[in-house]
Amino acid sequence: MTSYAQLSRRTFLAAPALLALPAIARAATAAAAPPIAIVLDSGGANLSIVDMTTRKVLREEPTFREPSHWALTPDHQKLLVCDATGNAIFFLDPVTGRELGHKLIPDPYQLWFSPDGRYLTVNCLRLNHVDVYHAATLTLAHRFKVGSMPSHLSYTPDSKTVFSSMQDSGTLVALDLTTMTERWHTPIGKTPAGVMWHDGVVLVAIMGSDHVAVIDPAGGKLLRTVMTDKGPHNLFLTPDRQHIYVSNRVAGSLSVLDAKSLNVVKQIPMPGGPDDLCFAPDGKLWIALRFSSQVAVYDPKTDATDHISVGRSPHGIYISTLLTDHPALVAMRLA
Amino acid sequence: MNMLTHMLSRIPIHPFNDIAGWIEQVAVLPVLFRAGLMQWSELSFGWTLVAVYGVTQMILAYAVCVPLERRYPIERWTAQKPILVDVFYTFLARVGVLPIMTFVLFYAAQVRLDGFLADRGYVPPMLETMIPPLFGHPVVTFALYALILDFTDYWRHRLSHRFSLWYALHAVHHAQRQMTFWSDDRNHVIDEIISFLWFMVVGLLIGIPPLQFPLLILMLRFVESFSHANARISFGWLGDRLLVSPKFHRAHHGILAAGERSFNYGAVFPFWDMILRTADFSRDFAPTGDNTAPEAMATGGYLAQQWSGIVHFAHSIQGGAHVAKL
Repeated sequence: MTSYAQLSRRTFLAAPALLALPAIARAATAAAAPPIAIVLDSGGANLSIVDMTTRKVLREEPTFREPSHWALTPDHQKLLVCDATGNAIFFLDPVTGRELGHKLIPDPYQLWFSPDGRYLTVNCLRLNHVDVYHAATLTLAHRFKVGSMPSHLSYTPDSKTVFSSMQDSGTLVALDLTTMTERWHTPIGKTPAGVMWHDGVVLVAIMGSDHVAVIDPAGGKLLRTVMTDKGPHNLFLTPDRQHIYVSNRVAGSLSVLDAKSLNVVKQIPMPGGPDDLCFAPDGKLWIALRFSSQVAVYDPKTDATDHISVGRSPHGIYISTLLTDHPALVAMRLA
Repeated sequence: MNMLTHMLSRIPIHPFNDIAGWIEQVAVLPVLFRAGLMQWSELSFGWTLVAVYGVTQMILAYAVCVPLERRYPIERWTAQKPILVDVFYTFLARVGVLPIMTFVLFYAAQVRLDGFLADRGYVPPMLETMIPPLFGHPVVTFALYALILDFTDYWRHRLSHRFSLWYALHAVHHAQRQMTFWSDDRNHVIDEIISFLWFMVVGLLIGIPPLQFPLLILMLRFVESFSHANARISFGWLGDRLLVSPKFHRAHHGILAAGERSFNYGAVFPFWDMILRTADFSRDFAPTGDNTAPEAMATGGYLAQQWSGIVHFAHSIQGGAHVAKL
């Protein structure tokens, strides 16, 4: 006979697998559906739904004002899209891109779920606060006012700390999610933007300069700088975890870093204001170009770049193949 | 066929954004980068886009209005200086300092209000959240914004004629005796500030309209410029009642219509005047100007006109400010 205690323990141990079940089911649905890219058009107040096979825009889904970034719910059932000046989060079906509704919350510019799925942290760039919501209910757990223009964010793998870059203050802030207090903040350079936890350090793209700062997560000490190009904006780990791509907004280029040494191994011209990007299963990069109304599809094997005309100012980009591509999910911390 | 498809695919589908994007990359971002102001790089694209709309609007107005003013002139003049001053006003208002100041000031005010509301658990209102069926119908929403903003602007304009102190400043706009399509932006800077505050309050109450409709925005601004044109043009009995025409607006600028005696206050749509009984379709193309305004206001340079507005304002205070009946 199985005791209650044993059952509870087994249930507890099986919980992560149980939590993953909806995501697995979602992957099966996604595998059967045509792959799409959802391009968040900050200039056109809508989302361009692109057929990844034909590379045609299938349709547009409306938002209120200015969609910027996205996050996938931990169970992969919904895609959340920020609309900062519209003061709303839109919910989409991540397989079809169909809108499921929206919720009014103040100034969501950048957002991401904690790895344990407990919290959703929202950077409010205009209003100068970092809002932590309970992920299950989207009710506000805590509001941090820790700097001016909170921009991008990343978590420690244990979900205890979230790091947020303060674009105007020029600081990186570490927020303790167990006590809802600020752990530290440190001056980091002009206009810090993209933040990424990587192998026990925090990487921050310093957009007002030409480098990526490598920061010690324990106290915020600058460990080293990695020169990239003018205006590094965001960082992305490849699905094979061998390289990190840095989008350089001012230079109009991508820098490729070796993920172990963090040395630059390649510079790729990418005019048009490269912003966010996603890795497709065929190895190509889908890159939102803020200033040319296009998405670039770059093939790192051949260096060839195709362009797809989309909305007025592509900002964030999501591709539905992420749902079935486990290495890409792991690299993007969505698994 | 393939060549045609290829050629069509080369035509930019968002030309205004693409031009603004090019300017952003080659000029604006490098300047912000060198100045250490990259934190404004998100907003700067919006500023650049507004400037591109402004330049396009000026080119469009020039291309349409100049031939019409030459072909169907109401008046002919030899002196060019008063018109050149109006050209300067237009540059200042459409692509110069004023749009950027407006952008920055409105942004600052909006951040304060949004932050105040957010700390109390609210989000600021927008037409689309006040009237949920509007969501997903952006053109209808934009049209509604245009109507509301034009209606509130009607009242701003009407009140600027009713308060003697306010009109002392607004007289800069009316003093022009050589009115052309350039005269739309000829305003005293304090009058501009009042207009901005007026628009800001309305914008904060109902949200600001989205900027993704360049053709509609250009059309509305074009109507305002075109209505000042020195061209003997009417849109016909029905047309004059649907959109403000040069004939309709010239009646407002007519020499006998200055100050409190004026009518036809609408900027884009004349039906506010019709509903509120301030419309007059009977007047023909009268000479423009304000006999009560100082001469410097009519024929002086930019600074002389601005100073004259201040002096006129001070005289109005000394003479006893008053409010006329609406």
